[in-house]
Amino acid sequence: MSAKRPRQPAKKPIKKPNRVAWYRPELLDALVLAAWSLAFFRYWLTGKLFLLLHPDYMWLANGAGIVLLGLAIFKLTQGRRKAPIGGHTTLLPPQVSSLILLTIAVVALIYTPQAFASDAAIQRGISDSLTLTRSQPQRFVRQTSSADRTIIDWMRTLNVYPEPDAYTGQAVKVSGFVIHPEEWPEDYLMLSRFVLTCCAADAYPVGLPVQLAVSRQAYNPDSWLEVEGQMVTTTINGQRQLTIEPTRLEPIPEPRNPYEY
Amino acid sequence: MEKFSNGLTLFFSLLVEAIPFLLIGVAFSSLLLFFVNERTLIKLMPKHPLLGALAGSLMGVFFPVCECGNVPVARRLIVQGAPSSVAVGFLLAAPTINPVVFWATWVAFRGQPEIVFLRVGFTLLIAVTIAWVFSQQRDMRPLLQPVVARQMPKPRGAEPANPLLRSGTFLMQPGGKTLNMDDPVAQEMIASGPDKPFGVKLQLVLDNMVQEMKELGAVLILGSAIAAFVQVAIPRDWILALGQNFITSILAMMLLAAVVSICSTVDSFFALSFASTFTTGAQLAFLVFGPMIDLKNIGLLLTLFKPRVIFYIFVLAAQLCFILTLFINFYVS
Repeated sequence: MSAKRPRQPAKKPIKKPNRVAWYRPELLDALVLAAWSLAFFRYWLTGKLFLLLHPDYMWLANGAGIVLLGLAIFKLTQGRRKAPIGGHTTLLPPQVSSLILLTIAVVALIYTPQAFASDAAIQRGISDSLTLTRSQPQRFVRQTSSADRTIIDWMRTLNVYPEPDAYTGQAVKVSGFVIHPEEWPEDYLMLSRFVLTCCAADAYPVGLPVQLAVSRQAYNPDSWLEVEGQMVTTTINGQRQLTIEPTRLEPIPEPRNPYEY
Repeated sequence: MEKFSNGLTLFFSLLVEAIPFLLIGVAFSSLLLFFVNERTLIKLMPKHPLLGALAGSLMGVFFPVCECGNVPVARRLIVQGAPSSVAVGFLLAAPTINPVVFWATWVAFRGQPEIVFLRVGFTLLIAVTIAWVFSQQRDMRPLLQPVVARQMPKPRGAEPANPLLRSGTFLMQPGGKTLNMDDPVAQEMIASGPDKPFGVKLQLVLDNMVQEMKELGAVLILGSAIAAFVQVAIPRDWILALGQNFITSILAMMLLAAVVSICSTVDSFFALSFASTFTTGAQLAFLVFGPMIDLKNIGLLLTLFKPRVIFYIFVLAAQLCFILTLFINFYVS
């Protein structure tokens, strides 16, 4: 009674035309691969990859885009094939896998990644020292002029020698985005940056307090500022902190690459 | 809305970092399937149980497969007569102790290199221990699924003197020998004969790559979605309360590892997203335990072992992993 076998469309090699004539698994595969390849190329060419990855590993993602394109072309030119040999036990049925991959690739093609902003910083907890974080200073160059240090450089310096008074009067010029920490007085804001070691998944925020002459409401959260001034020690919320006393506060556009490393 | 956007950014950052490694992983495992002969390797394996366990565990260096690729390889090893210590050691250690996974873990945890080395060390320790335990079982067949056990070569002396007494389909070979068609080696030859031209082999490799890429990619997407969701949607206080406790953090990460079933080539990026909130021991537990046993893996292991055996491996691996990482939490980090 072989005619009454249960339907097993996926496992049967295609002998006669499928019921859905246009459905060919290798074309679906090619589509999935091409969509992912396009998504990788899009992030590469628009520079949005900076928002997702550490620059050291971008070549991997770019390479993946090229390899995926190659695989898509291979699948496209391969022509009709029998079901692959070698039974592979899988968690998800192949069609479901393809569908998930295709959907997410389409989302990747539509969605533009956003740099993390102040709410993410607050959610992740801003550390005003690096003691909790993982990235240890790889090099420690003393002779850099204090005005050349970025926020993360300042943090690393502070991490090695935490006494704020030691830096009083040093010139400072840093850029970052604005955070209004709730527990701070109205005339202080935090100038912050996210630091990446691998990808956005491990981004953690660091920041320096800025003492303002006016209320911080003049500077919106998440807006980007370049601050020039000198270092002073202030007491915020009962804690002595190294603080920037600005001589110049200038709004700047969000940089192409908003993270520090 | 901001949160949703952050979550998506995080999700895609995990994906663009992990997919290149996934591609490298499936490329290797596909190449191996068609270009490496396990039989020659088995002949080189030491017979001593402890050395065999160690050799089996280190074999992953030549078989850079993640836990999805290692069960089929282990299965081929077993039916071709590898000692139990070699097979079990390989099964547990290969997904972690291989160059691709080492590199990926290094990329992810560049800031904490100790995690990379502890991951390898603990995996080796646990795999060798369990493989040593299993080496006490000289004849593996009672532990295996009947289908696999039947394919195994019979211990010497137990074979019927007359080959005619054996059942199955045979092909005549030169010199009066026969080739059993049920033999896995024969199956393999049918699937990808060694005399196939290079071009055809390459086609098969690429096909297999796409196949595995599709399966593992979907699991990777689900895993990344969970990681991103946990990071943005669950209040930080809860995660910290769970993640900073020495014991619950390890248990939580081991449970997560078992449920998420993320491929070992890319699981370090997943663990990385918990780096700031969970103890070092917990991250290690995730990285060591996940590749050994997880939901997806259990499905694969069931094609090889009887459930009882999987339960033993699960319990042994879980206990060893818990104790070792707890030690890290208490005395090292």
